[in-house]
Amino acid sequence: MATTAINLTARDFKGKSDPDWCPGCGDFGVLNSIQRAVAELGFRPHEIMTVSGIGCSSNLPGYINTYGMHTLHGRSLPMATGVKMANHEMNVIVVGGDGDGYGIGGNHFTHTARRNTDLTYVVMNNQIYGLTTGQISPTSSIGMATKSTPFGNVEQPINPVTSAIMNGATFVARAYSGDVRHLSGIIQQAVRHKGFSIIDVFSPCVTFNLNNTHDFFKERIKKLEDEEHNISDWKTACEKAMLFGDTIYTGVFYEGERPSLEDVEPVLKTGGPLSFRELGLGKDEAHKIITGMM
Amino acid sequence: MATVTTKLYQEPKEELISGSEAIGIACALADVDVITAYPIRPYDTVMQYVSRLKADGAFDFDYIIAESEHSQFEIVKHASSVGARTFTGSSGVGWFYAFEAITVTAGLRMPVVAMVGNRALDDPGAFGVEHNDAMAVRDLGWHLYWVATAQEALDMALIAYKVAEDPRVLLPFALSCDGSFLTHSQAIVQVPSQDQVDKFLPAYNRGSLQLHPDNPITVAPQANEDWLMEIRKQTDEAMRRTPAVIKEVYAEFKEVFGRGDDSPFIEQYMCEDADVILVGMGTLAMPTRVAVRRMRETGKKVGFLRVKFFRPFPTEELQEALKGAKGIAVIDRDYSYGSPGYGGVLFHELRSTMYPLDERPVMLNFIAGLGGREVMVSDVEEMVETTQKAIDTGKIDQETTWVAVRE
Repeated sequence: MATTAINLTARDFKGKSDPDWCPGCGDFGVLNSIQRAVAELGFRPHEIMTVSGIGCSSNLPGYINTYGMHTLHGRSLPMATGVKMANHEMNVIVVGGDGDGYGIGGNHFTHTARRNTDLTYVVMNNQIYGLTTGQISPTSSIGMATKSTPFGNVEQPINPVTSAIMNGATFVARAYSGDVRHLSGIIQQAVRHKGFSIIDVFSPCVTFNLNNTHDFFKERIKKLEDEEHNISDWKTACEKAMLFGDTIYTGVFYEGERPSLEDVEPVLKTGGPLSFRELGLGKDEAHKIITGMM
Repeated sequence: MATVTTKLYQEPKEELISGSEAIGIACALADVDVITAYPIRPYDTVMQYVSRLKADGAFDFDYIIAESEHSQFEIVKHASSVGARTFTGSSGVGWFYAFEAITVTAGLRMPVVAMVGNRALDDPGAFGVEHNDAMAVRDLGWHLYWVATAQEALDMALIAYKVAEDPRVLLPFALSCDGSFLTHSQAIVQVPSQDQVDKFLPAYNRGSLQLHPDNPITVAPQANEDWLMEIRKQTDEAMRRTPAVIKEVYAEFKEVFGRGDDSPFIEQYMCEDADVILVGMGTLAMPTRVAVRRMRETGKKVGFLRVKFFRPFPTEELQEALKGAKGIAVIDRDYSYGSPGYGGVLFHELRSTMYPLDERPVMLNFIAGLGGREVMVSDVEEMVETTQKAIDTGKIDQETTWVAVRE
């Protein structure tokens, strides 16, 4: 963690351009929470890398003053894995939406959790494809009418929390973007956690999802920390995560410990981050390697 | 298989609709069984329109909103193998993400009909039209057709099924539609009645190639050097047979619906005595025709030729239509980096087409309208002037020109 004489605030992490999100979009709360979390953790902008895919929420790296990459649809996690492998001292925060992360990029979600790569993944889950103006996503509720399902969605939605736990993620949380203080606290825990941490954030799309609104969540949300919950008990965590009715839990569902990808990768055991290492290859040696391959 | 619950069009009707809606209606009239979708602009306009038809009970089909374009194309390919009539599509990089499935669809000879809502490829992220996305299938065994109007989108979707599903052909069909200019713009379209369409378009029948428990066959086995060349040759033979089938189907279409051009492959506009012929594809036909008309009024002998089928490429028709011209100005809404002489794809295909002729006209290439930039009438006039100058001087200063580009 950085030690710095100057205390930075969330404002110091404000990007140069303003968000193009609709007024009232849940993503503003997520952006604020990330900025506040990294400031409170004492980081400086160059110590954070924000990586995203494609979608409304994936525009976030443009609005935050850190290193950033806005990558391909669904590919934020493999890209972030590459960043982490190249410089495992970098704090990598991955952001994106539910369509990007659980739909077209769903396979990467599974495998990043399995590898337990030390990334913090913040998913802005609005249960709809917003950038393309309102089609069902992998988290849309059954029966939901959208432009692609005027007859109502017939497909069972994915449960990101239980999926993440089952696939091996070691920090799994859920939050609501309307509660910045709570979300920011969870992001801080997630960034500090060593291993793959995922926070599924309800981030309402006020334009295209008129079912899962701010009011919808405010009426239903209960915080796990307000009652007894053992975060090392994955079974109860899954049971509580399955509830999506009158009660919807937020908070840290599960935290466990096992080696992360950087811990088990032999190349990274000594010598520091790859990106800072000398190649140490003379002209003759390089020539020898190239001829050997011909 | 799905059946139309309500006949959408008992009688022919005039509708004010977009190109995407026209294709959606064609799907309903063709009684498509399986449609797959994944949201991406501008393909999502068709996606939404067929959703509405389904919700209204006007068109019944199995509708799968896939989790990615790759799955979208995989689903229709397999549905096609069991005898379902299928429709899908995408745009730009979404189309590229599906490419593994796209190439296999042609390799397996599945007559899937797909709409490519032409969109610029990333990077940079852009929504506007560019033709490089659809062009990518040109070597794979797909039919590739460039649509210019909403009417043509509807008509060609119906023709596409009949051609693609013909047992002599069995190759997929891509309908290329310029993003925004065609997909989102409304125009008056003559929608035929269901009875007319039923008369024209028979049910899809794969015959002995249909996967069915009563017809146990293997589809897509591994074949290496022992059989691969023969399989490729068969696809080539199918592609060589398709022009005759297209002509036949187009003639039938004209008879049933009372619409259609002289040729299914190319459209000629004031080309007869033209010294300079402009060649292009898709919606840029409109400003180009206007420019040609204006220049004709001032006595310039100019014409416009629209290439409709890019695959199969109408080689002989083009040789015949262009051989009398002194100069040809090819407008490409695409580009091929590092290609021979550095130019657009249509230009290269045309130059290759003209090469065997004894007397070859002067050929110039104009790269225009990329990323949805408008091609203006004045741009077209300038192209003609440049070409005329090359004819007059017998000298080509610059073969390829990027039109209206900031330096």
